[in-house]
Amino acid sequence: MNYNNNNHPFHLVDYSPWPLTGAIGVMTLVTGMIKWFHEFNLNLLMLGYLIVILTMYQWWRDICRESTFQGKHTIKVSKGLRWGMILFIMSEVFFFLSFFWAFFHSSLSPNIEIGMMWPPMSIITFNPFQIPLLNTIILISSGVTVTWTHHSLMENNFSQAIQSLFITITLGIYFSIIQSYEYFEASFTIADCIYGSTFFMATGFHGLHVIIGTIFLFICFIRLLNYHFSNIHHFGFEAAAWYWHFVDVVWLFLYIFVYWWGK
Amino acid sequence: MHDHMDHVTGLEKRELLAHLAGDCDPFRMLAIKKGPGTYECPNLIPSAFNKRIVGCVCHPDTNHIEYMWLHLGEPKRCGCGYWFELCPIAPL
Repeated sequence: MNYNNNNHPFHLVDYSPWPLTGAIGVMTLVTGMIKWFHEFNLNLLMLGYLIVILTMYQWWRDICRESTFQGKHTIKVSKGLRWGMILFIMSEVFFFLSFFWAFFHSSLSPNIEIGMMWPPMSIITFNPFQIPLLNTIILISSGVTVTWTHHSLMENNFSQAIQSLFITITLGIYFSIIQSYEYFEASFTIADCIYGSTFFMATGFHGLHVIIGTIFLFICFIRLLNYHFSNIHHFGFEAAAWYWHFVDVVWLFLYIFVYWWGK
Repeated sequence: MHDHMDHVTGLEKRELLAHLAGDCDPFRMLAIKKGPGTYECPNLIPSAFNKRIVGCVCHPDTNHIEYMWLHLGEPKRCGCGYWFELCPIAPL
């Protein structure tokens, strides 16, 4: 029964407060960041985090309700979401491109102040064939397991979908733990000349994206356990898998150019 | 995991059922090839409501579309001579 007075496949969303609370939340977040910097007070920042996290939870919960429970995601809607996710990942590609540009700007033509060499004088870099190689293997394997999850979903194999997605998430967490250990063990800091800046900005934002991707996959895991996905319609999972492959590819570029070529 | 047919609901389900029944355009959004388009036999434009915008491509090599509102019960003639009439259908 059509209660909407329309006859088209598009989803005109109901009124929602989350865009407004999201805007208020991010404004509170950045203002709180300034207050933290200047007055060493975290309260406003914490409030900003809270509002943003509540907004994200409720907004995406509403999307799950509209799609899985209300059936409003027709093929056209799904296609629109696909394009949206692709465009978002493209924007993230350009975000990382800027950090790689900074890295190559400084490493291809090293300044006299750092000794006209790369890595700069006195910087002890990580051995690319130790922990970073392990991290590479972890992420590539997680790319394999997430593809396993997708095929299990498409073949209606529930138990294997759960197992492979669980392994994917575990590998993601494993990467994050090992990388944070590497950060503690590093012989240089972000303040250590341009090498430290480019290294930690690039790998730091990458690590943040790994954590975001892991959370996205974990949400998919919860939804999978609650039977939100069918063998044909599971775009939420596909979006998470695309994002995860993107994170993996960024790491491969980091590993090859920052860790290996840059050693 | 459930069978997809047990899983879908709402508009998505109605769209899927229409596709399975052989209807590739359940929302009547695709272009329609013109018929005779005379006053006695106008081009029938499906609509679930009292009015719908119709776009007429008058000749195969025309570079623009003639848009017009079409109201229920009022046949209308495009400048090129083709007649259109709204044909009530149920919404999906």
